[in-house]
Amino acid sequence: MNLVEPANPPSRKAPLVWAIGAAIPWLVLAFGQLVWFALDRRLGLLHAAAAAVTVLGFVVFVAVVPVWRYRVHRWDIGPKAVYTRTGWLVQERRIAPISRVQTVDTYRGPLDRMFGLANVTVTTASSAGAVRIVALDSDVADRVVARLTDIAAIGGEDAT
Amino acid sequence: MTVEVGQAWQRLSPRMLVVHPVHELLRQIPVLIGSLVLGSATGNPMWALFGLALIVGYGLARWFTTSYRIGPDEVQLRTGVLQRKVLSVPRNRIRSVSTDARLLHRLLGLTVLRVSTGQEAKGDTAFALDAVQAEQVPRLRAILLADSLAPAEEDANEPGRELARWQPSWLRYSPLSFTGLAMILAAVGLAYQAGVGAALQDSRLARSGLDAAERFGVFASLAVVVVTVLVVSVVLSVLRSLVTYGNLVLLRRDFAGNDGVLHLEHGLLRVREHTFDMRRLRGGTLRSPLLVRLFGGARLDAVMTGVDGAGEASLLLPPCPRATAEAVLSELIARPDAVTGPLRAHGAAATRRRWTRALALPAVLLIAMVVWYSWTPVWLWPIWVVLTVCCALLAVDRSRALGHRVDAEWLVARAGSLDRRRDCIAAAGIIGWTVRQTLLQRRAGVATLIAATAAGVKSYRVIDVPAELAWTIAGSASPWVADSDWARTQ
Repeated sequence: MNLVEPANPPSRKAPLVWAIGAAIPWLVLAFGQLVWFALDRRLGLLHAAAAAVTVLGFVVFVAVVPVWRYRVHRWDIGPKAVYTRTGWLVQERRIAPISRVQTVDTYRGPLDRMFGLANVTVTTASSAGAVRIVALDSDVADRVVARLTDIAAIGGEDAT
Repeated sequence: MTVEVGQAWQRLSPRMLVVHPVHELLRQIPVLIGSLVLGSATGNPMWALFGLALIVGYGLARWFTTSYRIGPDEVQLRTGVLQRKVLSVPRNRIRSVSTDARLLHRLLGLTVLRVSTGQEAKGDTAFALDAVQAEQVPRLRAILLADSLAPAEEDANEPGRELARWQPSWLRYSPLSFTGLAMILAAVGLAYQAGVGAALQDSRLARSGLDAAERFGVFASLAVVVVTVLVVSVVLSVLRSLVTYGNLVLLRRDFAGNDGVLHLEHGLLRVREHTFDMRRLRGGTLRSPLLVRLFGGARLDAVMTGVDGAGEASLLLPPCPRATAEAVLSELIARPDAVTGPLRAHGAAATRRRWTRALALPAVLLIAMVVWYSWTPVWLWPIWVVLTVCCALLAVDRSRALGHRVDAEWLVARAGSLDRRRDCIAAAGIIGWTVRQTLLQRRAGVATLIAATAAGVKSYRVIDVPAELAWTIAGSASPWVADSDWARTQ
């Protein structure tokens, strides 16, 4: 038996938001290095090495990883279960039964709000079983939450 | 003093007026030392007395400010000298009741009673009555568990069926643990913190010790130190094991109409009792660390909701003969084949991954030693050979350990060498599945399957199963996976 991949991709704006989120710390680091270079011009080799690492990190985490993540991330909600695929180097496919769902949370960070995105976290009684659907368009997220709470309310069993 | 159910707030045993100040004194030793130092430095001994009075006063105040009440729907505990806090626990959420009596408590006939709910409670949010009189415990236990377990009063006095009882022969597994070594290290660390190290630095004792070492020769004195530490650590380990687990008894009480409870009692000096609700049992873990396994031993942990899976809380049997641990687990989960039955191995790719991991360190060392050949001392080569052989043995043992077994009721997974574990998890308790693949796992065609439960350590792994098998395993244990819209038979 195998499980086909979940059908729905995250919002089209997701790679952009992830790239901006990743760019901020790297730009801060680059700024720090510029200040260091302005104050102290000895040890040219060390400056060059640090700059190379920063440029490499910037390219990987701002250009490559967001696109890679966008191609991996998928989510789907069935009548009985919620199913996601996440990650880039380490990829995870996670499925949880909706009858055992305890809470459905929505989280919007500052960047998410700027671009109208939302992240939905579905928790069960196990701390290892929380399912996260990240970077959804706000209206999609609202529909997901409504659907999940609807289905979860039907089952009345103790969710452990 | 009687136990009542009602709206009245009750105080803990008045004998705690003795215990609290003593415990506070022990806990505040640094403050006490500080005030002594301040007293001698300022030439005013009143400082020391003031510190003492403050600590004792705080200890007394703790008794006056703590009260509890067992209401019809919930139990409440009010605590806090400066910050008041009320902790309420719904009675139908109580999953297990455990008791614990340290030495001072026992001398005064007191017992600490802890209530555990399905929620994980740590530190501040744990509901503990510290302490009530020991005679009240059976009645309190019956009242507290009444809503969730419904044991009738006469049932609580029924002796129950004995599953296991501590044998002196179990002591043979305890010298092999590191508890003795850890205790020595802790004692040395404490001594240094207290300033013994600085005092020793240029004392006559240290100098005469160094002189003796020079006369003996460095290697001889080093050997003496190592042997002494080993002997002391073995003695301490055996003693600790005897004091903690001597007189351990594991009972099962069945009540008409439900699954009953497990009752565990152990400790010679500090007596601990746990009562587990059998309905919360989701399986068990047989753990056999390498050194214990060499002598044919294993320890047993319960996998239960509302009981922390990692520490002492879930322990059912300390290291004991493997057959005993297996028999008890078979009895608990009523499925002997899950406990002892053969497992399905994970195949060549998983074995290859064990080998590459184990041999990575020797390989890196070898390259380094070849590159810096002229700087490598000769004695490093035999050490490298020994290390490589050990790593190879580890790889063999780890790949032999890997295996799983699954049906509609139980998931069994075994892994590890230094700390081998066989997890038996009830399929009904699994509330989520994760298939995780790193880049290297994707290339090797294997995956780590993680079963999420609300019990024990929350996540149980089946390591490096062939990727095409991962969802089959999940599907055979959980029908909601097999019946989902995404399932396809290949």
